[in-house]
Amino acid sequence: MIDGYFAGSFPRSPELIEATINFEKGKIDEADLEKEFARATDELVKLQVSKKFGYVADGMLRWSDLLRPFTTELGGIEVGALTRWFDNNTFYRKPIIVNELKGNKKIALRITHKNQLPRKVEWKAILPAPFTFAQLSENKHYRNKSELMFSYSKILREGMKDLAEADFSYVQLSDPSLVYRPLKGPIQKEELAGVKEALREAIKGVEVRTSLQTFFGDFAKILPEALDFPVDDLGFDLYETSISELGKYEFTKGIALGLVDSRNSVLENSAELAKIAKHLIESVYPSKIKEVFICPNTDLDFLPWKVAERKVDTVSKVVNALRGDLLG
Amino acid sequence: MDKLFPTQEVGSLAKPTWRIKSLKGEIITEADRREAMAWGVKLELEELNKLGELLEEEDSAKKREKIVEWSALYAIKLFEATGLDIVFDGEQWRKEMYEWVIRNVEGFNFLGFVKSFDYRYFNKAACISKPRWIKPIYLYEFLFTKKHARKPIKIPFTGPYTLIDWSFNEHYGKALEKGSSNLRAQRFEGRKEFLFDLVKEVIRPEIKKLVKAGAGWIQLDEPAATTHPTGEEMNLFVEGFNETVAGVDCKFSLHNCYSNYGLLAQYVPALKKCSQISLEFANRDSKRLGMNGEIRAGYEILKLFEENGFKEKYGLGVIDVHTNFVESPELVRDRILRGAEIIGDPERVNPSTDCGLRTRSWEVSFTKLKNEVLGAELARKEF
Repeated sequence: MIDGYFAGSFPRSPELIEATINFEKGKIDEADLEKEFARATDELVKLQVSKKFGYVADGMLRWSDLLRPFTTELGGIEVGALTRWFDNNTFYRKPIIVNELKGNKKIALRITHKNQLPRKVEWKAILPAPFTFAQLSENKHYRNKSELMFSYSKILREGMKDLAEADFSYVQLSDPSLVYRPLKGPIQKEELAGVKEALREAIKGVEVRTSLQTFFGDFAKILPEALDFPVDDLGFDLYETSISELGKYEFTKGIALGLVDSRNSVLENSAELAKIAKHLIESVYPSKIKEVFICPNTDLDFLPWKVAERKVDTVSKVVNALRGDLLG
Repeated sequence: MDKLFPTQEVGSLAKPTWRIKSLKGEIITEADRREAMAWGVKLELEELNKLGELLEEEDSAKKREKIVEWSALYAIKLFEATGLDIVFDGEQWRKEMYEWVIRNVEGFNFLGFVKSFDYRYFNKAACISKPRWIKPIYLYEFLFTKKHARKPIKIPFTGPYTLIDWSFNEHYGKALEKGSSNLRAQRFEGRKEFLFDLVKEVIRPEIKKLVKAGAGWIQLDEPAATTHPTGEEMNLFVEGFNETVAGVDCKFSLHNCYSNYGLLAQYVPALKKCSQISLEFANRDSKRLGMNGEIRAGYEILKLFEENGFKEKYGLGVIDVHTNFVESPELVRDRILRGAEIIGDPERVNPSTDCGLRTRSWEVSFTKLKNEVLGAELARKEF
C-alpha cells in the first residue's frame, strides 16, 4: 500500500487570517470567527479527498501550536512565555506544569472536529507525543521530566480511546524533540527505553492505527531502538534525516516519508522525489514492500495557504508515481 | 566618542498615529492632530503649522512622503531631547525591518502571510532569482537624518543572515537540484550560496553607498543569528557578517536580542570589525537596586562573552522594551556599574535599550530614554 496524508497542521487561508486579525481587533465575534474556521476546514477536507488521501485530517487550523489545546485545557498547566519553535521563526507558548496533570473531558475529540470529516473516508488525528510534550514544557511539579512524560501518556491514552470510539482510524503522535537535539547530541539508549514505555502506556488498549512522526532532526540517530517502538508506522523528515543511514536498517513497520519540504516554498520535482523514495523503500524493505505513506516533512503551516495547496498536489503526484513504479 | 558611557537606542520607535493613518489614507481626527502638535511643541520643532496643513491635505504620494519625513524628524528630535549621545530616525521610513529591504531589492516575490504565533503573521517572500540591488534601501533616510541630526548618528541595517533565514529559498533550492539524496546538505548549500550572493549583490553595494554618503556607523541587526544552533549555521552567520564588512571603512556593530547568548558568546569573537555587540540584558534582570550578582542576575551572562574572548564594546541593554515599567536613573546606574564591573573596563560599556521601543508609547519611550541618560550620568560620577 502506498498512500498520502498530512503530517501536521495546514496554514490558515488569507480569508481566515483576516478573520483572526479582525477577531483580535474586536471587529468580529467568536461565532463569526468559528464560521471562518469551519469554512476553511471544509475546503481543506475537500482538498484531501480530491487527492484521494488514505486518511483525512481537519488540518488543525484552530491550533496556535502543537501543544496549545493541551496547554490551555488540561488541569495543572499554566500558559507560559512565547518560546521559539525549534529552529523556526515561529513561536509557541510554553506549558508550565504547576500541578498534577488532569484530563479535560473528551479533549482529543473536541479539538479534532470530526463533524467536519466526511463518513466515506478514513479519519486521522494528530497529537503531541509524550516525549515532546514533556521536553517542551517547564516542569515545576513532577520530580523529573520522565514522570511528567508518563503522566501525560495516561491523559493521551484517554484521548486516543475517545478518538477510536468516535471512529478515527489513525492517530499520529508528533515527536520532533526526539530527533531535534543540535546542542545535546543524540538521545541516549536508556532514555529511548523510557520513550518506548511512555508510548506503550499511551497506546495500551487503544484500537486505532498509530504512527510516531519525527521532524526537524535525523531519525537515523534513534535507530535501531526506534524500530521497536510500539506504533504501527514510523515517520521521518527526509530533509533532516540521513537517507543513506536509514537505508541500512530493515523495517517491519509502515513508514511515513516526509519528502515534501514544508519549510521552503520551492516546488519539488515529483519525479525526483519519487526516485529518492523508491530507492529508500527498496532499501528498508529488501524482501516485501510494506506500508508506505508519502507526506510533507512537517506541519505545512510554515507556508502560505496557496503554496501549501501546491505541496499537497506534489504529495499526490509522488504517491501516483510510486504506485505505478512499485505496485504496477 | 571619548565620553564614558555614551547612550543609545538600538531599534525602532513606535510610529505616531498621525503617520500611520496618513499613510493608509485615513481621516486624521482632532485627537491625532492635537497629539502631533503637542509632541511637536515638546520637541521644539519649527514650522509646525506646515505639518498641520499637511495633515489636512488630500491623500497623495507626495503627502505620504512628507508625512514620513515629519515622523522621522520627530523621532530624531525625540532621541535628541532625551539627551542620547547617538541618534537616528527610529526607523520611521521603514514598514518593518524585513519587508522594507526585500521590497527594495530585485529577486524576491512576496508569497503571502505565514504564522508567527497565535493570530500574528508576517508577509514572507521567496528568493526567485539572484538578488540584485536596484535602488537605495537606507540611503535616503540616512541623508535625511544626517541633515537634521545634531548628534552623532548610526544606521540600523537588517543583516544578511536574518534576511535569508526569514525568506524562502526557491532560486538556490532549484539551482542545486541535481538528484542528490542528501537533502539536508543540499539545503544548506543553497542557503550558503543565497547568503553570499545577497551580501555581494545587495548588502555591500548599499553599504558602500552609505559610506560614500558619509555614514560612519552601521549597526547590523541579526535577530535570527542563533535560530539554528549548529556549528555550520553559526559559522555561516559569522562568515556572512565578515563578508559584509570586509574592506569597508566604517564602524560596524551587531544587535541581537532574545536569543541563545550561551551560543552567541562562542561565535562573536570571530566577528571582524565588530566594534560593539548590542544585547538585551534588562529583560533578564531584576528591578531592585543593588550591585550583587543575585540582584543583577541579568548581567551574569556577560561573563560568558568575556570568557570566550570578546574584546570589543557592549551595547549594554539597561532598558526593558517590553514593559511600561520605567527604570529609575538609579536602577540604570546600577545596571551600568554591574556591567562595567563584570567586564572590568567601563570604557567598553555603551548603555542601550534592550531592543527597539516600538511597542511602547512615545510618552513611555521618552521617559525611559531620559532615565537611561540620567542613569549614565550617575554612573559616570563613580569614575
